[in-house]
Amino acid sequence: MSLFATRGLTVRFGGLTAVDHVDAGVDEGETLGLIGPNGSGKTTFFNAVTGLVPAEGDVAFRGGALRGLEPHAICRRGIARTFQASRLCLGLSVFDNVLIGMHTHVVSGVWDALFRRKRMISEVRDGLKQAAHLLGLFNPDLIDRGFDPVGALPQIDRRRVEICRALAARPRLLLLDEPSAGMNPEETGELMKDLQIVREEMPGLSIIIIEHDMFVIEGVSQRVVAFNYGRKIAEGTFADVARNEEVRDAYLGRGSTPEGAPRA
Amino acid sequence: MPPLEVILQQAFNGLMLGVMYALIAVGFTLFFGVLDVIHFSHGDIFTLGAFAGLSLTFLWGAVGLGNPAVALLLTFLGALLLTGLIGVGAERACVKPLAKAPPLMTLLATLSLGLVIREAILIFYPRGADPKPFPAMLPQGLWEIGGVVIRYENLVILAIGAGAMVLVDLIINRTRVGASMRAVAQDAEAAQMMGVNLNRTVDFTFFLGSALAAVAGILNGLYYSEIHFIMGIMGGVIGFSAAAIGGLGNVYGAILGGLLFGVLQTLAAAFIPRGSEFRDVVAFAVVMVFMVFKPTGILGEKTIERV
Amino acid sequence: MGGLIGVWAVELGLFVLVVAALLAERPIAVGLTVAAIALLLVAVQTSVRVWGWMATSFRTHRAAALGGAATLALALPFFLRASPYWTFVATMALLYVTIGQGLNLQMGTAGVINLAGAAFAGLGGYTVGLLTVRLGFAPWLAFAIGPLVAMVVGALLFIPILKVRGHYLALVTIAFGFIFNILMNNLEFTGGPQGIKNIPTLRLFGHAFTTAPTLFGVTLPSHANFYYAALAMAALVTWLAWRLYNSWVGLTLNTLRDDEIAAKCSGVSVTRHKLLAFSIGNLFVGLAGGFYAVMVGFVSPPDFDFGYSLVMLSVIILGGLDSIPGVVLGACLLIPLPERFRMLHEYRLLLYGAAIVLMLLFRPRGLWPAGVRRYGLGRPAGSFGAAGTRAEGVGVSR
Repeated sequence: MSLFATRGLTVRFGGLTAVDHVDAGVDEGETLGLIGPNGSGKTTFFNAVTGLVPAEGDVAFRGGALRGLEPHAICRRGIARTFQASRLCLGLSVFDNVLIGMHTHVVSGVWDALFRRKRMISEVRDGLKQAAHLLGLFNPDLIDRGFDPVGALPQIDRRRVEICRALAARPRLLLLDEPSAGMNPEETGELMKDLQIVREEMPGLSIIIIEHDMFVIEGVSQRVVAFNYGRKIAEGTFADVARNEEVRDAYLGRGSTPEGAPRA
Repeated sequence: MPPLEVILQQAFNGLMLGVMYALIAVGFTLFFGVLDVIHFSHGDIFTLGAFAGLSLTFLWGAVGLGNPAVALLLTFLGALLLTGLIGVGAERACVKPLAKAPPLMTLLATLSLGLVIREAILIFYPRGADPKPFPAMLPQGLWEIGGVVIRYENLVILAIGAGAMVLVDLIINRTRVGASMRAVAQDAEAAQMMGVNLNRTVDFTFFLGSALAAVAGILNGLYYSEIHFIMGIMGGVIGFSAAAIGGLGNVYGAILGGLLFGVLQTLAAAFIPRGSEFRDVVAFAVVMVFMVFKPTGILGEKTIERV
Repeated sequence: MGGLIGVWAVELGLFVLVVAALLAERPIAVGLTVAAIALLLVAVQTSVRVWGWMATSFRTHRAAALGGAATLALALPFFLRASPYWTFVATMALLYVTIGQGLNLQMGTAGVINLAGAAFAGLGGYTVGLLTVRLGFAPWLAFAIGPLVAMVVGALLFIPILKVRGHYLALVTIAFGFIFNILMNNLEFTGGPQGIKNIPTLRLFGHAFTTAPTLFGVTLPSHANFYYAALAMAALVTWLAWRLYNSWVGLTLNTLRDDEIAAKCSGVSVTRHKLLAFSIGNLFVGLAGGFYAVMVGFVSPPDFDFGYSLVMLSVIILGGLDSIPGVVLGACLLIPLPERFRMLHEYRLLLYGAAIVLMLLFRPRGLWPAGVRRYGLGRPAGSFGAAGTRAEGVGVSR
């Protein structure tokens, strides 16, 4: 039973078709790798799914339709994401950046903030505990730095905070947009470990991950979808897709030797 | 319903106002197009242009410059140069240093700079609190066509305004520096990699926009025969409104928006009882309605927002 | 224990200096006291050690610090009793605290631009004036309705445009401010340029606010009534603002301000929260406007023109955007200062403008920068480690 599936998802910017009739889906607990050259529409696919850009076609999620919903409503249904260029609030604390991820689950509102402080505070305490738990999965130091501004953290830790923010929403589907962007090989290795931890901690969670680093894709995904010019050109296991002629052409142009391209 | 000649007369007057508004609006739209900022002190740069022009006319009088055409030309050139340079100074002081800060900071800084310019004119210009009479430097006389009065000086004002706009169009589309401006507007980083000098292009953009505001300022003085330190507040808000109605970042949109705003104001004054008091209310109400239903303006805003 | 005495000593010292500066008659005395205050400020601003000491002492002894400040604020009219004028100026500063908290919630916390602060204050003031003078409402009732009108008008006007980008909101609020002023100037029922006169004053337990109160056997100028009422109002509003800031609401608004897309994708409804911040902010601003109306008994268009919107802006930028204590500091510095130096009065707006530009360029977080949100939990305890003691204050830039 597929948790999430798109049918004929299409995004047009003026004359350009950035995502072209894509059918893609992911099962419960599965990790799907999404690959393709720059500009092949991977991020736009994420943006369409999360409601940031208008799209045609259908998106089914947990038996309901997502089309036409606003981004915040889509998040409420259980889809959380990270961004390629990280979108953290650098002036706010580490804890604040994770706590905002719990927004959809928070019950206390303005009235509680002003006049029913007890309820609000107890919710904050619970939130901080959860945040500390999530941060601790990746790097226990982050808990001690919880009240430091995120801007003071190194790149890899910022990425972790962003993943924690997405996980704090307790999503059923997690969209990771090139988490290794801007990292050196060592950090990328650490990141892979982090993703394994997520896998172990949340076995039911489905993940779609966009990556250029094929080691990461090979290491974490059960299934791979390849994009080119906004279309899905291949789907299958990593080995299948890596052997696919069209995929190799997309990355390299016809007839060259593969390097940095998917290896079989 | 007022008679037809009143409507025509008002439309003509509206065109006059519109030309001045358009000149201010083009500045707003250039700054936004090239640098993605709203330069809120632009209205006060417009005032500054008018005061620079006024001071120069005194100077010509003092040195005994006889020929009125030469005096007019020199007034324009001097005021353009001076105001353009002050505009560049404003950009260096309040826009460039805040390029990486949140947009709110640039907004607040330029808004406050406008306050500083305004108050400085009030305090440091001799008897700055009073409206200043602006000398008539244009040929006097009028035509009457079917009940519509057309003054020679108004025609000259229209011609100067139109000429300035054509010139701007030529600069943007036909010159090297214009090409740089367009390149930076599209993608500043890519333009830099293609060898465009970003700082110089931005400086030139502010020079050009501010010089246009000076043209508007002098025309305003010639049209109303007086200028006042406070006129930049309204001038700025109207210029920004016009640019927004037309579509920020689009030069033709700004011109269109300026003319539209001028005609709207004068027609409101003609059609509504006590209209002269409420003409700005009507015009601003239209702006607000525009922002609701078409926030990108008639010709569309340049939007580069990456997700 | 040393910290506690230190906190009180700082507060008392500042209080003595301020009162001395206000009441001093010889120019040299004025100069000296103001210079001393300025020196103190500069020391706090430039020395990381001084700032660190202040921050920790005031945090550890928060209750004592607040108690001390409250006592001194309550005692102020007794020291200023010789001068109704200075009591009035102090009251104005408190009104600006109230307004500043409202604007700060909008612009500092939520990043929703409002350049029509004066117009929203005017809505509150005019509502009180019209309801009492034209329709014969009881002053207290009108005083309660005024801010609601400011809130509702603001919400109705801005619901459709809250989604547009920031600079359009700036344009629309400026335009709204002008429309308000032109209408007040030209409509019959608002009294035109003359405005509304003879707005009845408030009465509390039969005591009219215009009669001089006698407290502890000391007769104070009648303005002291308004001073105490404004103090209560400013304290209440500041307290509410602090609670909002230190809650999920404050966090949500901050996220919205810093990154709208990230906020949306975390499930935040942008329109709803911007509207929330805008409405509560205008409620505070309108409250101060209504208070002004009953205090001076008279409202007219020039009381609420664009220049005052810029003064309000200066208050929150000087104090520090998003900083609740910053608003208090900003208002208490910016409002009395030009009154003290009458020769500066002409240059007042010029100096405000220059001060904002310089602050934005060199100290964008203001004199009292917003700290890290702690949700009023005090010192973070137990499993959250020793965090928080490091990142305090000045060293951290955005």
